[in-house]
Parts: sequence; structure tokens; C-alpha cells
Amino acid sequence: MVEYHRHPQQDDPNKPALRTCIVGIGGAGSNVLDRITLDRTVDAQLVCMHTDIRVLGHAMAPTKIQLGADLMRGVGAGGDPELGKEAAMFSREEIRQAIEGHDIVFICTGLGGGTGSGAAPVIAEIAKASNAMVFVTATMPFSFEGRRRLNQAEDALQQLQKRADALILFENNRMGELILPKDGIQKAFAQADQLIAQSLRAVSTIVSTPGLVKLGLDDLTSALSTSNGRCLFGFGEAKGQNRGSEALKRALKSPLIDQGRLLHQTKTLLVHIAGGESLTLLEVDAIMKQLGRHVPDHTHILFGVAVDAKLGDSVSVTLISSLGLAQLNTLAAAAPPSDMLPLTQRAMPSVVEAVSTVPVPAPAPTPVAAPAPAPKPRPAARVAPVAPAPVPAATPVPELMPQFVPAPVVASPVPEVLVETPAPAPAPKAPPSIEQSMDLLFKDDEIISMATQQEPEQPFMMDEPELLQIEEELQAEEEPPFSMDSEEVFEKPEAEEPEAFFEPEPPAPAPVPVPAPRPRIEDFMPSTPTPRPVTSTLAAVVARTSVPAEDLAYAPPANNVVAKKPVNPEAQIDFSFGEQDRGRFKDTEPALASGGEDLDVPTWMRLKKKLKR
Amino acid sequence: MAKTTIYAGLEIGTSKICVVVGEAKRDGTIKILGVGTAPSRGVRKGEIVDFDTVHTCLNDALVRAEDYSDVMIKNVFLGVTGSHIESVNNRGAFRLAADQSEITEDDVEEVKEIARNVHTPPDSISMHSVARQYIVDGVEAVRQPIGRQARLIEADYHIVHGSLPRIQNSIKCVKEVPLEVEDVVFNGIAAAQVVLNRDAKREGSLMIDLGGGTADFVVYADGMLTISGCIPLGGDHISQDIAMALQIPHGRAEALKVSEGSCLYEDIPEGEMVRIEDDTGYVIGEVERAFMNEVIYLRVKEILEQVHARCEGQIGRLAAGVYLTGGTSLLKGIDAVAREVFGMKVTRAGSAPVSGVTATFENPQFSAPIGLIRYAQILDQEKPFLSPLKRLGKRMADLLSVAL
Repeated sequence: MVEYHRHPQQDDPNKPALRTCIVGIGGAGSNVLDRITLDRTVDAQLVCMHTDIRVLGHAMAPTKIQLGADLMRGVGAGGDPELGKEAAMFSREEIRQAIEGHDIVFICTGLGGGTGSGAAPVIAEIAKASNAMVFVTATMPFSFEGRRRLNQAEDALQQLQKRADALILFENNRMGELILPKDGIQKAFAQADQLIAQSLRAVSTIVSTPGLVKLGLDDLTSALSTSNGRCLFGFGEAKGQNRGSEALKRALKSPLIDQGRLLHQTKTLLVHIAGGESLTLLEVDAIMKQLGRHVPDHTHILFGVAVDAKLGDSVSVTLISSLGLAQLNTLAAAAPPSDMLPLTQRAMPSVVEAVSTVPVPAPAPTPVAAPAPAPKPRPAARVAPVAPAPVPAATPVPELMPQFVPAPVVASPVPEVLVETPAPAPAPKAPPSIEQSMDLLFKDDEIISMATQQEPEQPFMMDEPELLQIEEELQAEEEPPFSMDSEEVFEKPEAEEPEAFFEPEPPAPAPVPVPAPRPRIEDFMPSTPTPRPVTSTLAAVVARTSVPAEDLAYAPPANNVVAKKPVNPEAQIDFSFGEQDRGRFKDTEPALASGGEDLDVPTWMRLKKKLKR
Repeated sequence: MAKTTIYAGLEIGTSKICVVVGEAKRDGTIKILGVGTAPSRGVRKGEIVDFDTVHTCLNDALVRAEDYSDVMIKNVFLGVTGSHIESVNNRGAFRLAADQSEITEDDVEEVKEIARNVHTPPDSISMHSVARQYIVDGVEAVRQPIGRQARLIEADYHIVHGSLPRIQNSIKCVKEVPLEVEDVVFNGIAAAQVVLNRDAKREGSLMIDLGGGTADFVVYADGMLTISGCIPLGGDHISQDIAMALQIPHGRAEALKVSEGSCLYEDIPEGEMVRIEDDTGYVIGEVERAFMNEVIYLRVKEILEQVHARCEGQIGRLAAGVYLTGGTSLLKGIDAVAREVFGMKVTRAGSAPVSGVTATFENPQFSAPIGLIRYAQILDQEKPFLSPLKRLGKRMADLLSVAL
């Protein structure tokens, strides 16, 4: 396993303060950055990156980078992540220069569009290569923006998850919960920006300001260490009387925490309380006591207190935790789907999608592979690790640049990966995934970093993005000396594995549609309708009574029987609820156990219809 | 000091609109002062579909009730029903602070708040939230948790919710009369207050109010309100079935159902005929009685089966059996069908004895409106059992004053 430096900050008391850099990418990112710039709340270098020169012109950040100036000519990416990515690749050098030399790089971006989704993974990659801790704050698009944008966002999210050390996700859909419905749209967006800005500020405060009870990056990572989880974040600040409980209340109100409900499930919770010099122990005590009611006893609470003169009279409470997918899903199961957090479905669908798209290898590889200017020369990749050049990260890039040749075979990186990963055996035959097309672009970067980052100097040892268990296993097996190597390794398995497993055996996808036929079982239940009618007078009379045929016309096709079982034997049934068995109303009207029949049609008529068949 | 209050309950049913004026006495008894009914038009499956017609009918019923009782009615408790009404049980948990060992009032309030906080579908409003029990450190069925030594307190709540726009439409209709709506009550819960006595609730019972357009049902188990809901099927469907089976007008089918209808058809000798007369007594035709009864039987059975399906998980624990009330429960043989469907004791019941117009309380048709008076009384007494309702009533009123 990867070992952590438990207290990296204390190793060297003379170490200068952490150098942080906040990068805003795309429209959403630059909005957040503007907010941060205006608030002057964070002591960090602010870099705004965009493809669109006009947006960049309005941005208030001190450093601005126009992505792909030559390629894009100052026009936006037009919602195409491929363009955004290429633009970022073009401006790689500038980005590297801006980001280099920072200990923490915050990346905030709005996913779904062109620049944000396309460039952010590239920038995260570059930041990672410069040995910084990468902390990503991303917003997901509104659901009304359409399925396509959501897919783009999800793709980008997966890219980012691999490269980021921590990721906080904000859902635009849940933004409505921040504000009153009557408030103007401008306020809504401003609030969302504010929330993101707060999160950045809180994290940077936590890890950088000296505290009475110190929380470090190590605590932060352990709070976020649930594999493939969702980050829960809450921030509240209040002044005046009861400021402590008020701040906590606000923190719990954060839509990401769902009124504290999601905290019931957490294993680790990071709590950071900061206040001016007037902060009293009593207040801290009260806050923690109040918080204790919302978390289970066994939760590991990472607690930190800091006194920050800047805060003046106010007290701020920050809650950070993460929740695994499994727990989220149990919550989701109890919730009406419309209401549920989209993220919960995210990882699941992506697997399902992978399965379903296997026959049609995503259109991406071919078109992308051709125009991509970057794809790496394979020989270089092989040679580089053999002859390790102890050069700083930035230098070899120009040297390698001229060697670039058009992408070789798309599938070529796979075997190389397999050498390192013993897990997925049938992988070589796996078709190129969607991921891969993306990775091709990164290949050179990764390899460069692989070749160059020989110095194992790692300020924070943060090289374990909290993604999949696989990663840990992989790392356990081979103890990679530096971050990018391991990154490179599980890049592939993660992308490949679902397909590697599903592709060779066609029956595998079958279980997916299984739930659908469930109602049918009831169809086959014999003798559910009244058993008597066959011998009854009705049958006899039916023959005699002259009911006009058109009367029967609106009897529905009676291929269903009145189902004995309730369609929804939900929570109402039992006294003893489970832990997660919080009552929720279904979002539809109570379904009658009609088995699809129109109950307004006379019973006898439906029965007759059935008898006739 | 015997203080009495006069309440009026209004039920806008599918077959009739009914206003009951009653006097709630301090000792818990009720005296019915007057009843006004009018046949209802413009209501379908318990929901208003034609405002103007309902308005006229409502005025009729109101005037009759006022004449009868000699009371000027200003405020009413409005009983609503409809398939949009749904219920759920929710449990809220609350952990006491580390240095605190005894449950205080604030803790109880907090846990109530948590338990009542249920995700409801959009556009719906919680009509009732009734505390079922408290669970203190795993000890179930605690009625009074304040002052107990504990670490964890949980509250079980039964929450009944309905579609806000539909409820608002009913209220709007009543406000146009003009009447003030004091509270909106689900008919089933109101009826259960007078149909089920304390023992029946404790032993566990299912009450079905078989109305004209809907069947409202309420399950009490261990003295706790456990399930409540509404099936949009009722007596009108029976009449409709007869009308279509016998090819006679709906009104005639309705009359036939009331005078001759029965759910029992097996023992009827073949060839026994029922005469169908028109208004003047002229016989327009004959139908086989067994056939007609079977049509009725099928529909009644279906309605009861729907209720059964919705209460399935609780059926086994209802010692006091099934209580049938409402106009359709007057149908002959319906208890036998219910026994067949539920497999337990079936009681046909009207309202529990109240003083006043004696003919009224015995009639199961008036269970729900009388129940509204009882409900109002309970609300007034602020029994711990229903105290949250009062707050809810206020909330409802606030909300409506904003909305309208």
C-alpha cells in the first residue's frame, strides 16, 4: 500500500507556506474565478483559461491564458470537448509555466461544454505532472441542457477523476435548493459561484492556515478516501448571537449534504471550525455536540480548529466527507428517481453504457486519432524509462515534440498495460474504448512525465486518487516510485476492464434487462380471477344477453389478470424499518393493483372478455 | 366548566354533499344538531369536476343543515378524498448530545421535525402527520418519551399527503359559498375516529369507507395509524356496471341497486327475475336476479381486493377485523364478500353512538361527516395523539391564505 506521510507539514517547520494556484477553465470556471478575485478571500495565484478571447477579456483574474490561440483564433470551442482538448494541448507550454511551482492546484470548471470538458482533463494532467496536488471543483450541467452535454460532462468527469486527487462535484440541478424559487436567475448563479468559491477557500484555508488543532492534507485525503465516491461538502458562516449553531446549520443546509441526511452514512468526516479571535471553546463544544447528532457514533471525526483574524466576528464551519457509491445507491433506491442526485447513477450507467456500446466501438477513435497532433511515438515510450533522464519535468517536452508521429495502432497501448496489470486477462482483444481515444492524446504527456519524473520527491504523497479499489491493489502489487507511473497503469485497466470482462462473453449483458419482465410473472399466475365464473350464471347469461358489440369495444385487451400482489409493496407494510428505510412518497399517484386494466370498465365486461378468449 | 363548541363538517362526496353540524362537548361526547344533504353532481371519484354544479348542490345542503340545526355556519371542516391521497410511515432518529442523558421536550420536537420531513412529490402537501410511536433506545411503542433516560430517540410518523392543487380546488369551491375552511381532513381518517373505538384500534382493524366514487381505507395496528389511502372505485361503479350489463339508464340502475341489489348470487334459484320499473311504476323489463347480483358481486369483490392489495402486509395482524362503513356498505351481502376477500371478521358499522338526530349516526353514510366533528373535537382537546395536526391545520390555513 501507499504509505502516507502522516504529518507532512510538520516535517519541515521552516517550509514556506503552501503555494496554491486556482485555475478557472471555461465560462463557468472564469465566473467562479471572478467571484474569488472580487472576494479576495483566497491567497493564491489565480489563472483564468478560456478559448474565447472575449470572455477572457472580461475575466478579472490577474493571469489569463488563451487556449489554442492559433488553432481557435479566439473563438470558443462551441461545445465540442475535442476542440477544447486540442486547444489545451496547443497551449500546453503556457499552462505548464503558469501552473508550475505550486503545491496545490485547484481547478474549477463547468463540465458539459467544450472548453471546460475538453481542456480541464488536460490541465489536470499537466498540474499532476508538476507534482502538485490537484483538487478539482466541477459543475455538472442542468438536466435541461440535454443528454449530450450530460454525456460529455460524464466523460470529462471520468477523465478528471483519474487525474485529480480530490474532486468536488456540484450539480446545477440542485442549485435551486440554494435559493428561494422567487429569486432572480442572476442571484441563483451568483450563489452557485459563491458556493464553489467557498469550497475552494475552505479547502485552502484548512490545509494552509496554521490551526490550533491542525488539519493537514493527509486528513483531507482520508476524509475523501472513499473509493469512487461522491464528495459531501458543506460550508456555513455566521455572525452574531448563536453564530456557532447558525454556521453549522448553514453548513448542513448545503445541497451536497442533503440537510445532513447523507452524513448518517459517512465513515469519516472532516470538520473544520474557524473563527476570529473571539472564538470560544464553548462555541466549538456546542457546534461539535450539535453535529454529533447528525453523525453515527462510529464515524471517524477529523476535527480542526483555526483562529483566523481575517474572519473577524464570524465563525465558519466546514464539513467535508465522502460517500461511497454503494451507500448513495441505497439512498437512491429509497428516493424518487427524479429527486435523486444524478451522480448516484453516474458510475453505474457508465459501466452499462460500456457494455451496451461494445458492438459499436465509439465513433471517437478513428476521427480523433487522425487529426490528433500529439500522439506519442511508441519507441520513445519504450526507451524513455530505460534511460532515465534526471531532468525537470518541463524540459524534455520540446525535445520530444519534433518526434511526434501520427498515432500508431489504436490498441497498441493495451498490451503494454497488461504487462503491468495482472488482473484482466482477455484484454488484448478488447476493442478500443471511448476512453482510449482520449488517452491517446495524453499518451505523450504521460510518458513524458514517466520518463522525467524520476526524482521521487513528493511533497504530499497524494498520488492516490480516491477512485477504485483496483488502484490500491495495483499499487500494492508494484509500489510505483512516482505518481504518474501508477496513474498510467490504472488509466488503462479502468477504461478497459468493463469491456474486457463483458466483451468476450455475450451473455454477460443479459442480466441488465432482467428486471423488466417482472410484471409478466403475474400474467402467468393461473386462476387469479374469480374461479367461479366459469360455472356461474354470468357465463350462461353472457351468451343470452344481447350486448351490442360496440359496448365491448372499449373493454381493453384483457391479456392481464387482476394482480393479487400490490404493485408497490413499499415501506408502509412494516413497523421495523431498516436504517435507510426513510419513508418517501412515490412520485406518481398510487398505482392501483390493476395489472394495467382500466378499472372504470365494468368488471363483468372485462371478465367476459377474458372468458371469451 | 362544560364548554361546548359547535363545529360543522362538510363532505363533498361523489353521490351526495353532506353538511353535519355538531356540538362537541368537553367530556368528549358529541351531539349532532343537524344534517343537511343534497345529491351531488359534478363530482367524480371524489374530486370536483364541475364547479358551478357543485356550488349549487353545496348551497342546498348548507341551507338544509342551517335550517335543521338553527346554526349559522361560517367555518367548516372539509373532508377530502381522491386517489391522489397517499400515506407513508416515516421514522426519524435523533441522537442525544453526549452529555445529556434525559430526553427533553426540545429533543422530542427535533425528532418530530426529522420524522415529518419526508420527500414528497412535487405539488403535494402533507395533510396529516400523526405520531405513531416513539422508540427510545430500541424500546418500541413508547408514548411519552420526555424525561426518559436514553441515548437515542426515534419517532414514527404516519404522513398523509395529497395533491395540493386538487385540495386547493376543493377549498376554493367551498370558499366561494362563502365558507371558511378551518382544516382539511382526509375522509378516511375522519370516519375512523367514529367508526373504530379504542379497542378496535388497539387490537388492529381495517376500516373501509365505501363511498360513491371512492373507497377510503384506514388501518390501525397496535393502536397506531398504519396505512391510509383511497381507491378510486365506489358505489357509482357498481351502478355503472349494472347499467351497462342490463342496458338501462344509470339512474335506474342506481335505484335498482339500492332496492334489489345484493352481492349474493349463488343461492338464488335460476330463473328468478327482477322487474325493472320506470318512474310511473310501469314494468319495462325483467332481468335475472342472479345475473344482476353477480355483476354487483364482481365489482364489490374487485374493490375489496384492491384495498386488500394495498394493505396486504398488515392483514395478518388485525384482530378486530374489518369495519365497513359508507353508503355502499349498506349493500346486501357485502360483509360476506369482505369475509371472503379478507378472511376475517367483518363488521358493518356506522358512527359510534352520539346524541342528537339518532337516525343519522346509525346510518353509515354519515360516518365521515360525523367523523369530521369528532376530529375537530380531538383537535380541540389537543390530545398528544393529534396535537401535530393542529399545527398542520394552521400551516394549511397559512398556506392557503397565501395561495388564494
